[in-house]
Amino acid sequence: MENNELVQNMLLELRRGILSVAVLSQLSHEQYGYSLLKGLSDQGMEIDQSTLYPLLRRLEAQGLLQSDWRIVDDARPRRYYVISAQGQAVLAQLKSEWSALVGTMQKMLV
Amino acid sequence: MNLLDKYIAEVGKHLPRKQRADIEAEIRSTLEDMLEERKQAEGAVLSESKVPENEALVIELLKEYGNPRKVAASYHPTPYLIGPRLFPIFVVVVQVVLSVLLGVIILTYGFSVVGGGLSRAEMLGALTGIPLRFLAGALSAFGNIVVVFAIMERLIPAGKLKELEDKWDPAQLAKAPDPDQIKFSEEIIEIFFTIAFLFIFNVYADKVGIYFFSGNQFTFVPILTAAFFTYLPWINILGLLQIGLNLVILRQGTWQIYTRVANLTLKLGTMLLALFMLTGPAILAITPGAAAGTPLGALSPDKVETLTGFVLIPFFIALFAANGVEVIQITYRLLNSHKPVRFEMQK
Repeated sequence: MENNELVQNMLLELRRGILSVAVLSQLSHEQYGYSLLKGLSDQGMEIDQSTLYPLLRRLEAQGLLQSDWRIVDDARPRRYYVISAQGQAVLAQLKSEWSALVGTMQKMLV
Repeated sequence: MNLLDKYIAEVGKHLPRKQRADIEAEIRSTLEDMLEERKQAEGAVLSESKVPENEALVIELLKEYGNPRKVAASYHPTPYLIGPRLFPIFVVVVQVVLSVLLGVIILTYGFSVVGGGLSRAEMLGALTGIPLRFLAGALSAFGNIVVVFAIMERLIPAGKLKELEDKWDPAQLAKAPDPDQIKFSEEIIEIFFTIAFLFIFNVYADKVGIYFFSGNQFTFVPILTAAFFTYLPWINILGLLQIGLNLVILRQGTWQIYTRVANLTLKLGTMLLALFMLTGPAILAITPGAAAGTPLGALSPDKVETLTGFVLIPFFIALFAANGVEVIQITYRLLNSHKPVRFEMQK
């Protein structure tokens, strides 16, 4: 396997876990999928629609998100997602784990 | 129907039925959002009259959104025919069944040689046929095992097994095993063999018999009698109850008094049925017509009876022994299950 391909695969694995945390962190106020996608992208976290939407569904099935269809400002119906109480508890835990992990990795990667 | 509708319908085709409408609606809402944003970016007027321009935009958008099949696939979890939890047991069962198959084929060849009447060339011909027969038998056995495991994969609940695996504690290695803890692999293997047994006698009953190589030709002598088939409904009921019980036990993870009583009843029922089958009209027989041309055809009726007894008696002895041991074990566990309570009361 080419180095490039190896790097791509490992990056994919790395991002897979991180994306859930990123999504949870951005849903403290409700958003529909596309606005979330743009919000993440604006902050430098690029994500495919084909990754984001199934991920939102999975997080909802796990009880970490809530969603419902709504029409806001007379626009078309959109599905709005927001973090649930359980999601907030989980996110808080993940945040502290994340800082610990970053600290550890930074020491290792110097 | 415009291009967008067609695209969404195409994605929908590959989506799980239950979530289809909902996922389609969400994809539509996203695509329309994206389209609107692009139109505004291009300064285009949002009107339906500019169809050609819209179409070009839509095509570009859909290209970016991706192949409908791939989009739909992203909503599915990886499907398993036989998942990682059953796979190790699957491998063991395949190894056992294929070894038994090879043994049976070699034994059949041995019988044909001992039975006599074959020339040297015919023996050699039969011998070279062994790999081919094994290959054919192995393929069909493998296929059937896969079917049975694929069914089990879908029957056995996911959560419980993981819990069972996670409960493991190194301290248990030193201690005597907890008699109330079920053994995952034992239950799975029991389910497998019960399904296989039911499968053989319900689907392949006409192929149960003795096989001979006579020269290059291959003869088959059926041995199950009509009397056997009068017992088949009872065998099926017991088998299905057994599978049901195994599934309940797997779901619960430990033995309860009522599952033990149910198990005891089933084992006693099996022994009772076996007793009826053994003492009633013969369930195995070799009809002279079917056996003509094989070494069996020349046998006198009482020799035939000795031969069927030769097959039946060890089978029933094994069956009674296995069930008898289990009955004793279950009874022992049932009688002892209250011990800790009594012990505390004495204190």
